[in-house]
Amino acid sequence: MKGTAEAGVAKGKTKNVGTTLGLLSLVLAAITVALWFRQINQVAIPENRSAFVLSFLTAVALGIGAFFARTRWFGGVAAVLAIVVGGFFPFSVAISRQEVALNGIRVGDTVPHFTALDDQSQFFDSTSLEGRLVLMKFFRGHW
Amino acid sequence: MITVSTDLPEEILEGRRNHGLNGRMLSDRDLTVTDAFGLRNQGMHSGPPSGAESLPVPTTLLIDRNGEVLWVDHSENYQRRSGPEYVLAALKTHLD
Repeated sequence: MKGTAEAGVAKGKTKNVGTTLGLLSLVLAAITVALWFRQINQVAIPENRSAFVLSFLTAVALGIGAFFARTRWFGGVAAVLAIVVGGFFPFSVAISRQEVALNGIRVGDTVPHFTALDDQSQFFDSTSLEGRLVLMKFFRGHW
Repeated sequence: MITVSTDLPEEILEGRRNHGLNGRMLSDRDLTVTDAFGLRNQGMHSGPPSGAESLPVPTTLLIDRNGEVLWVDHSENYQRRSGPEYVLAALKTHLD
């Protein structure tokens, strides 16, 4: 009887460890996501995002650790969330690279002539820019 | 200040209202202007949801009075683009 009770206590203790790991993994993933979006808002996502990737992967590792250590249900839910979030962001970092336009316009080039419609559906001709200093921005649009 | 994107005129108008944007905003759904500048994004792994064929590489250009490019900034990554401080610093360097 005594042995079973001790085993029960030990099992409860590992579950506490697992639950703590699960909760920790979610906290880490949440903080990293919060920092990520703060940087995005400031248009300041760094070129080298390995610190973010490392932090996300640590959250994934803690989440997986939680299951190995056995966790209570809420620790498990937290761990699953952390694994999903912590896995998604490094994936998005990995696919975000795009090729720079190698034949694109360079410093010293003369801007080609172009025409387009503006947001009032008014015709625009680039000759109207002659004699003016222009800041021109290509971007992906509203989505 | 001129912007170019693949948004349709009415979409640009909506974006302008939502974000309080100024300047002449051009629609380049068929990427004619983007291609004229050689800025079509070749590395897109998925098409944009808007219906355009591709997207321009996010690029900021400073052009002088004779139409010559003074400064170019490409982003190698669509999660990044020229931050306002960066653009302002370039403006300052080239205009002083």
